[in-house]
Amino acid sequence: MAGARVLVEHVSRAYGRALVLDDVSFVVAAGELVALTGPSGSGKTTLLQLIGSLDRPSQGRLLVDDVSVGELSHPARFRRGTVGFVFQLHHLLPALSAQQNVELPMLAARIARRERAARAIELLEEVGLADRASDLPSDLSGGERQRVAIARALAGRPRLILADEPTGSLDTVASRRVWELLASVRERRGTTIIVASHDATLAEHADRALRLLDGRMMPPAEEQFATEGVA
Amino acid sequence: MSGLGQTLTSLRRRPGRTFLTALGTALGIATIVALLAVAGGAQHSAGELVQLGASDLGLFQKDAADPTTSILSTDLIPELRRTPGIADATPLVLLVNDLPKSPAAIVFGANRNGFLTQRLVFSTGRMYRSGHEIVVGDELARQLHTRPGDSLTVAHRTFNVVGIYHIGVAYQDSGAFIPLATAQTISGRQGEATTIPIKLDPGTRPAAAEKTIAARFPGILIIADAEEATRAGANGQLISQAALVIAVLALAIGGIGVMNTMLMAVIERRSEFALLSAVGWSGPQVAGRVLFESLLTTIIGAALGLIIGILGAQLLVNALGAQTFISPHVTAWDLGRALLVGVLIGILGGLYPAWRAAHVSPAHVLAQH
Repeated sequence: MAGARVLVEHVSRAYGRALVLDDVSFVVAAGELVALTGPSGSGKTTLLQLIGSLDRPSQGRLLVDDVSVGELSHPARFRRGTVGFVFQLHHLLPALSAQQNVELPMLAARIARRERAARAIELLEEVGLADRASDLPSDLSGGERQRVAIARALAGRPRLILADEPTGSLDTVASRRVWELLASVRERRGTTIIVASHDATLAEHADRALRLLDGRMMPPAEEQFATEGVA
Repeated sequence: MSGLGQTLTSLRRRPGRTFLTALGTALGIATIVALLAVAGGAQHSAGELVQLGASDLGLFQKDAADPTTSILSTDLIPELRRTPGIADATPLVLLVNDLPKSPAAIVFGANRNGFLTQRLVFSTGRMYRSGHEIVVGDELARQLHTRPGDSLTVAHRTFNVVGIYHIGVAYQDSGAFIPLATAQTISGRQGEATTIPIKLDPGTRPAAAEKTIAARFPGILIIADAEEATRAGANGQLISQAALVIAVLALAIGGIGVMNTMLMAVIERRSEFALLSAVGWSGPQVAGRVLFESLLTTIIGAALGLIIGILGAQLLVNALGAQTFISPHVTAWDLGRALLVGVLIGILGGLYPAWRAAHVSPAHVLAQH
């Protein structure tokens, strides 16, 4: 299944008087792996939440393929069929096994039990954790939990994966593994992936990087250089 | 694994939280069961007092403020005995607050040959023969540590205890019997009785006899069953009303308890519901999961609550020192009803928390975490 095209057009988001995103615009092509960088508080998480329909923009237009995300009447249905989330703190349910956690999006989609189990095992195999299917999150390392979270994000066969600081709480080795995993998902499935990270050095794993600062989109480094050169 | 299986697994893998949630529910259900049992017991006991356990009908003065203040002439007895369908009638005087060692005990003045006293089964001693003798119910004898040969003071008169009986009616086993004439002298009611218990001919329907007596003896209140008995007199009505108020209060307290418990559980698990929403669960799906969990924990809690409630009712009665007169009255129907009410409360009490869970904002909650 091909990845989704994402269009962000003059998007702003304010909470009361605080303007968290200010007139942000960019396009992500289908199947692209984009790094969204910027320091903490720059608006990366808010932007991912808007694209993923967890929140609505105050202004502007957000399209995922042809769907206007800010105007959805059933955003959960959209998320179930289109988006997979990976969070910094994995957010696995502690009482459920790795396999059961991976099955959660499929439960919402009312996929038959056998198919759910088969698909969950297949996804855990893909992230290298098939032998840990029955383990609880508390029995897994930080990197393993995040890989289970990636498997869960893939469970609904999404066309877009939004990963918010997926390596933020991992060591270097585990971080590299998560990036490799995301890259291989994009490679094999053609899924569009947007990864938010405050660590700009990780952007080298992506096709390109977008940089946010104080809620505004910064021009790409070469453009910035050119502008400064002219000045 | 199905959604049901996941919910069960989730409950099983967090036994502490499941137990505490169920316990919160259990306390609500236990409150309902205990209060209803005590109210039912009080009603039942009140019924026994007025119906006097062993008779088919009880006659009282109409419009008496309280059955114990009823006054009937003993001249009615021969007339009643001649009434078709009535096998026997016997006068009874009730003395209240006249036994200093046990003020709540009732002393009954009755003819030794009346059908009521004939039903006393003596475990020790015999029936009274003179005006200075008294027979004591086994429950009262146990409380006062008295036995035949001892003396007992009733209304400043000393009586010789000559027998200990059991009849199976709480009020009578917790009281004592003395000769009718002596009781009439003590109460200053010569030729009068508080009540006249009636024994019907075999095959006579109480309703038919009630009709006949009402027609022949206007001004008399006829009590045929325990439920009717609780409506006799102002106090009976008060007990009946109190039972209803207690039941409604119990339902409200229990319902609020369940809702509060489930709401706490939802608040504690906001990030879990936010995550479910983020991975595509719709509001109704999240709410359904909360309601289902609420139902399961309520069933566990209700089962636990029934046990705690029954034990708690007995403890409550004992703590209040009312065990002599109130025996918590719980039937299988009461338990089934409490369970049903508990489950309904679980659903109703889970509705608001489910609504809250369905409206958790994943953007805010996940960002906070």
